[in-house]
Amino acid sequence: MTSTDMTSSEQEDLRLLRESVRTLFARAGGSKRARTLRDAGGDFDPEMVRELAEAGVFGVAVPEDSGGLGMGLAAGGIIAEEVGRVIAPEPVVLTTGLSLGLLSRLCPEHPKVLQLISGEIVLAVAWQERGPGGAPADATCRYADGKLTGRKAWVVGAAGSRGFLVVAQEDEGQVLVLVEPNADGLVINKRAQADGSALGELSFSGTPAAKLASGNVVTDALAQAVADATALAAAELVGLSQRAFEITLDYIKTREQFDKPIGSFQVIQHRAVDLNVVCEVAQAGVREVLAQMDGETDSKIRARLASRAKARAVTAAKKITRDAIQLHGAVGYTDEFDIALYLNRALVLSAWLGDDAYHRRLWFEAREEEGSAQ
Amino acid sequence: MTDWKTMTDAEFRNEVSQFFKTEYPDELRHLPHRPKFAEIEQWHRRLHARGWVAPAWPAEYGGMGLNAAKLLIFYEEQQRWGVNRGRDMGVQMVGPLIIKFGTQAQKDYWLPRILSCEDIWCQGYSEPGAGSDLANLRTRAEIDGDEFVINGQKIWTTMAHDATHIFMLVRTDPNAPKKQQGISFLLVPMDQPGVEVRTITTLSGEKEFCEVFFDNARTPKENLVGELNKGWTMAKALLSFERIFIGSPSLAQNALGQLEIFARGRGAFDDPVFRDRFTQAALDVEDHAALYSRFADQLKRGETLGADVSMLKIWVTECFQRITELMIEAAGPDGGSIGPLQVGNISVDVLSSFYKARPTTIYGGSNEIQRNILSKAVLGLPG
Repeated sequence: MTSTDMTSSEQEDLRLLRESVRTLFARAGGSKRARTLRDAGGDFDPEMVRELAEAGVFGVAVPEDSGGLGMGLAAGGIIAEEVGRVIAPEPVVLTTGLSLGLLSRLCPEHPKVLQLISGEIVLAVAWQERGPGGAPADATCRYADGKLTGRKAWVVGAAGSRGFLVVAQEDEGQVLVLVEPNADGLVINKRAQADGSALGELSFSGTPAAKLASGNVVTDALAQAVADATALAAAELVGLSQRAFEITLDYIKTREQFDKPIGSFQVIQHRAVDLNVVCEVAQAGVREVLAQMDGETDSKIRARLASRAKARAVTAAKKITRDAIQLHGAVGYTDEFDIALYLNRALVLSAWLGDDAYHRRLWFEAREEEGSAQ
Repeated sequence: MTDWKTMTDAEFRNEVSQFFKTEYPDELRHLPHRPKFAEIEQWHRRLHARGWVAPAWPAEYGGMGLNAAKLLIFYEEQQRWGVNRGRDMGVQMVGPLIIKFGTQAQKDYWLPRILSCEDIWCQGYSEPGAGSDLANLRTRAEIDGDEFVINGQKIWTTMAHDATHIFMLVRTDPNAPKKQQGISFLLVPMDQPGVEVRTITTLSGEKEFCEVFFDNARTPKENLVGELNKGWTMAKALLSFERIFIGSPSLAQNALGQLEIFARGRGAFDDPVFRDRFTQAALDVEDHAALYSRFADQLKRGETLGADVSMLKIWVTECFQRITELMIEAAGPDGGSIGPLQVGNISVDVLSSFYKARPTTIYGGSNEIQRNILSKAVLGLPG
């Protein structure tokens, strides 16, 4: 799908959405706000979450009959790009992609759906587990008789979360349960991340949990929601990369050495052009993926598309933020300049839901599987 | 005469695709070299009979009169089916210039001869001292009675040894204050004593480039196109469509398809390092195609492309090179072998792909020149 396949009123809707979210973040202080929140301990701002909700941010991809805007991932990507531009710590992709991605597919009538859309609450999603060597491993966390036992790792948003959506195993297969934040037998360990946020490691021992859905539908909804979140995280990285590039471009136009702006030197110019090209390719690729995912229902194809987006966005963000530090010179290595915040945020967003090497592997395997199925 | 405007883009694509698929001779598909006219003459006659030689020209001059959207489709299908562009310098370069800047007499005389390939054109722009710095050209043309007298040398003239005419940029005012001023655009017949053509053998052993020497060569004054000393701006005005065409994904897409067939046959996919590098290349091609669509959409909406379109050329040519380098890796000990290599019942010419990819980052404005353009015109970087 290309942009000409979209009607001009759809295009106009997306433009208005982008403007309203951009204005909202600008009024709140842009990337300066990210620094303030980080220095205050790394949590997001619940008031900002509510303001974003009023702008329609969280329900953007939720179908209209479940209380959302029904604008699809293409619109979700526009929002995620704006979140990335100001490195906002609010869990926008977590909520739109993972939490609502799971609930709107499995239990669209559940009251938590509207609470998430209205920004009243944030729900972290615990679906991955750490093996004995420390790397991701198959799930062993058990759910039986209304109680949960086991461990979950890499839980984004654990700090400000008003509960946990946990994917666990029961005898019949996978199950999605809801755990209250102060439930018995729940221990939350927080591990600080480069951007000031925290990843949660959860441990459950006989922790009471309410079953929301079970069986194959959980497995499929999880795959779909992870694909959604992966592609939206890619869009967030695209926005981040673009802004990091703009900051760097401004810097090389103003910083003078040898009585000239360093941006007048050809070696700097060519490096800047390369970053610009990398950035534009990433934006075009990721936007195309999001539009294609909106028109696709097969979960394997959607996963392959999401892998394409994340692989591209991580490669671009790594290149752009690291070269940005180099082009800033010594001040790029300080905490005082905002460019450092972009590098640190890119590290965290790249690792979350898989980096470029991981997604290239998934993409290739999916392509082989599709090829041999034909 | 078909009115293409009444067709939808999809109908048009289907029509073009069917024609190239069924009518184009299989032995000429994806030719690894530039053909001489005799090699593709029969095909050219069929295109000419159909009125499809000049897709971009207005219908009143014998072209198809396609809009930008259909023009892109035409070229995409042409490349997809491995259809050789033929000896199209006349159609692509000199024809549009005559249509835009030529006199009625010039149009009446030259345009039909371009379409029929009665005249076969080559382009005389580059010189030994004027490559990336094209405006530095020194070949002189002086008026002598009713004629221009030309002295100097052109180089990298593609297929000059198989051309009847050369269109050239020449210096007509050596005292102009800026070197871009004082350049004129001339049409010159090559069959005359003052013109000598020598072929240049490329590093792949092909003879497609030439040097052309002018020693008091002559052309009538009426073969000046446009105003005297205004050749530079005219030649530049032509380049806008060329710039998206030169950045189209098809060369890299075709090479990737060849790489996959070859690497599969050779078992290269058993190696996880190769798998990852293949995947990087494949995603580079897919995401480039997404960016290409963005620019193509701009054209389809009737917008003019900005200087930023050059990024397509930078990305796709460098990607094309990486793909052909991977082919050589996959060939292992056969990586230096000339000619087709057999994998199963398919043969892939690894070296010819590799060679074909090398000049793409040099021609059409080297990638370094493209980066200079982007840094100033798009990023607004100083000096």
